[in-house]
Amino acid sequence: MFELRNITKSYLTPKGRRHVFRDLSLKIPAGKNIGLIGRNGSGKSTLVRLLGGADVPDSGTVATDKSISWPVGLSGGFQSTMTGRENIKFVSRVYGAVGDAMRRKVAYVEDFAEIGSWIDEPVKTYSSGMRSRLAFGLSMAFDFDYYLIDEVMSVGDAHFKRKCADVFEERLQKSKVVLVSHNMSEIKKLCDVVLLVRDGGVQIYDDVDEGIKAYNT
Amino acid sequence: MLKPRSPLQIKKSVIFALVLREARSRFGDRRMGATWTLIEPICHLLILSVLFGLLRGRTVAGIDFPVFVLVGLAPFLLFRNTALRLMNSPKENRALFSYKQIKPLDTYIARVLVEFSISATVYAILVFGFAWFGFDMAIKSPIEWMLTVLLGVIFSFGLGMLLSLIAHAMPSSTLFIRMMFFPLYFMSGVLIPASYLPHAMLPLLLLNPFLHLMELIRAEIFPHYVPVDGISVIYVIAFTLVLLFVSLGTYRVRRLHLISTKNG
Repeated sequence: MFELRNITKSYLTPKGRRHVFRDLSLKIPAGKNIGLIGRNGSGKSTLVRLLGGADVPDSGTVATDKSISWPVGLSGGFQSTMTGRENIKFVSRVYGAVGDAMRRKVAYVEDFAEIGSWIDEPVKTYSSGMRSRLAFGLSMAFDFDYYLIDEVMSVGDAHFKRKCADVFEERLQKSKVVLVSHNMSEIKKLCDVVLLVRDGGVQIYDDVDEGIKAYNT
Repeated sequence: MLKPRSPLQIKKSVIFALVLREARSRFGDRRMGATWTLIEPICHLLILSVLFGLLRGRTVAGIDFPVFVLVGLAPFLLFRNTALRLMNSPKENRALFSYKQIKPLDTYIARVLVEFSISATVYAILVFGFAWFGFDMAIKSPIEWMLTVLLGVIFSFGLGMLLSLIAHAMPSSTLFIRMMFFPLYFMSGVLIPASYLPHAMLPLLLLNPFLHLMELIRAEIFPHYVPVDGISVIYVIAFTLVLLFVSLGTYRVRRLHLISTKNG
């Protein structure tokens, strides 16, 4: 479960400080797939970053006893002069997988991404599709309690999309997702509880359909 | 599921990963990257010390001139490069802060370690090379010398961190800061003993901790070298402590902005 206590988050922009959340408190029940919906710019991504620990609130705390992934499919963290394999090793080291565990991660991503010998070329030589394959495979190589998915769900060609969907289905047996999406059918399919982010506030709907209805009105 | 790790374990693995990544990216761009990374500063130091040796005559203050230049220039370049590398660190590593384990402070530490390792290797190679050709490379008080170099590295760490925070708040200031390091080259007595600097200016020049560090390093290496009056290790230590306090404090205040994607 997640518990947010008195979260205030603002960003400093060239035109001054902009508050996204003020004194927000929230309890998200355990063992549920969480969907985040809301207009563009309402603060969904900020909330996801706060839940994932990639961003820190100005004040207040985010408490959880679960492991949470980095945003699935994140390829911005790749060092473009390093090879795909070296980038996988870097993330493995950061997440404490060394020795045999690291070799297993590399083998998994190598197998999953299906980019063949390109894995030993610098990432800057990759096509955008190859980059996403690598990034998605890397996210799937680790067993998190929650996977953060910010808008992008499937990448690559039809074959790879199917593969992603399959591995995800299997992963959802054990893990949960935090999904940000504007695609309501996706939310309906995957999520058990919906958080509607609006005007700096967050409402929880245990009934997904009700949440979507509130969003649409 | 992932095994829970203690904060110390996380810090250790993050810094280790960053050190390897940093080294990779320093070596990675070119063919024979690792060799070039070493040869470049070796050439820089070798050319400067031999060239100035030829121009200025054989000795200064009774010391072979190439040796004199080497023992001052090498640590100065280490300090300067450390500060300048740290300055660019948040900008160059920003994409990494999406991994919640990685904090800007880790990238600073990793950079210092890599910079120090490269410099130490280069320096060791040059010292052995010089000794091979018959120069006297003995160090009078090795332990004090090592401590002084370490102090200089800590000082540059604080300085680089502060510069990075300034550069993050005002990105256009990096050019100006880089330019500031040119006069520092001459004001710090890197190529000449501090006693050759204009005496009337000395009280002002002695505010510069680099000058103290250079003089201390030389006094600890050469048996008969006399640093100018007013050189004190206490001053450098005090300066370093204040600087560390200021930069760590500013870092604490600004840490949310450093990892934020919305600005900088």
